[in-house]
Amino acid sequence: MGAVGLQTHIWANNTRSVILLVTFPILLIGMVYGVELILMGMGFLPNSGKGLGDDMALAASWLGATIPLALGIAAVWFAIAYFGSQAMVDALTGARKVERKTEPELYNLLENLAISRGLRTPTLRVIDNDSLNAFATGLHEGQYSITVTRGLVQQLTRDELEAVLAHELTHVINKDVRTMVIASIFAGIISVLAEMVFRALLYSGGRRRSNDDNKNAMPLILIGIAFAVIGFVLALVIRMMLSRTREYVADAGAVELTKNPDAMISALRKVEGRSSLKGPDELQQMFLDNQPDGVGLEGLFASHPPIEKRIEALKKFGGGRDPGPWSGEAAPSYAASYETSVPSAG
Amino acid sequence: MITWIIIGVVVLVLLFIVVGGYNKLVALDQRADQSFADIDVQLKQRQDLIPNLVETVKGYATHERGTLDAVTQARAAAAGATSVNDKVQAENMLTGALGRLFAVSEAYPDLKANTNFQQLSAEISDIENKLAAARRFFNSAVSEFNAVRRQFPTVLFAGLFGFGSDKPFFDVGEGDRAAMNAAPPQVKF
Repeated sequence: MGAVGLQTHIWANNTRSVILLVTFPILLIGMVYGVELILMGMGFLPNSGKGLGDDMALAASWLGATIPLALGIAAVWFAIAYFGSQAMVDALTGARKVERKTEPELYNLLENLAISRGLRTPTLRVIDNDSLNAFATGLHEGQYSITVTRGLVQQLTRDELEAVLAHELTHVINKDVRTMVIASIFAGIISVLAEMVFRALLYSGGRRRSNDDNKNAMPLILIGIAFAVIGFVLALVIRMMLSRTREYVADAGAVELTKNPDAMISALRKVEGRSSLKGPDELQQMFLDNQPDGVGLEGLFASHPPIEKRIEALKKFGGGRDPGPWSGEAAPSYAASYETSVPSAG
Repeated sequence: MITWIIIGVVVLVLLFIVVGGYNKLVALDQRADQSFADIDVQLKQRQDLIPNLVETVKGYATHERGTLDAVTQARAAAAGATSVNDKVQAENMLTGALGRLFAVSEAYPDLKANTNFQQLSAEISDIENKLAAARRFFNSAVSEFNAVRRQFPTVLFAGLFGFGSDKPFFDVGEGDRAAMNAAPPQVKF
């Protein structure tokens, strides 16, 4: 059933995310199979060389042993990366922690949102940077943190800022940081495997063929390469697709929290084209907006959907209104709009 | 044996569809109810401000008894309303009466200069903006529930579980509705 509103839109994207996550282990299996075929073709593995079909079946029969091995390595890798990633994020961003005392309005906005969902308020950080962006980090309770740029605080109205904080808080609620760390670890393992395959082929290309005893060497190696290339590309594409579905869910979640689709749309309009912020890949996925420098294959490798499509979804499912692209005129900051909400005479 | 397995699988799949559909409806129903509670919170807050507002206006605008009485009555009706439909009607009356009150207050410069009145009207204006947002969210939650309820295959069994009819929207009256959808109401002073 297609999405007919905000909640069904969220459900549809969550289902999509689960399907995408499940494909990672399948891709890993495909990669392992490809590596087996290549090793066989190069004559490293015993009992091969009867016929192409027999060899491929033989390689498949070994998967029972090699898959647990690969998954075991993935688990160890995951454990290391899981505990290392937070330290890395902290070290790289150079964000400053802010308290209620220093930024009362901003802190209260976040705290009110967190209270409305019964959450512990995440640590709030500000980066002194003119670009308009925000991100959530943290893999478990007590570690969650939401960071906004100084430019964002200065350019957005109170409602827009609340929408952005709600977007990031939704990433926290949905544990998207963890999901994306898992995805990037899988993608990392697959890309390392692919790299090993290509290096091995490059170095041994000339020498191995001479004492090769497998008559299916060529087709086996070619099929193995095909597996490796497809796995490598798909891992990248799926990781980015996953990231994009999480962005749609976070946009919808922001509307759930603030009940204000218009503010989310106008915040996105302001961020549009002004979001450039540098960071490692794992972090960029969590940005409020992050667009690739060049135009890729229809955004297949983009971690975020184009702003237009996000606004389209907010209009369709959240009932929001789009004010059109932002001209970039001097906008009142949230502090100023707070003051003017007291009506003046006349 | 094979036929039994097939029958078992079919029954399981049907069960899955029904359970999934039912759980979906319950979640959407609950969500709509919860967003109506959000409207209620704002309505209650607005009602609580009104006695204070009426007292303040009384001190300055002595000739506006009729307008003040209308506000007081509308508030009493709103506070006493229990069903969704009664609430919607009473609150629409209250909104109208408040609008007239703020309109006549234009004629009293001393009243407009009163800090208490300024604060109260600012608070009411803020509440009405939140109310508009909460109402919009409620209406979209209702329309989502109704749409899913009427979708196939949910429509086949929705009635069995007490989801046989559409939920009512928070209507602000036929005429106002179009205007409300075009732009949220704003209290002008």
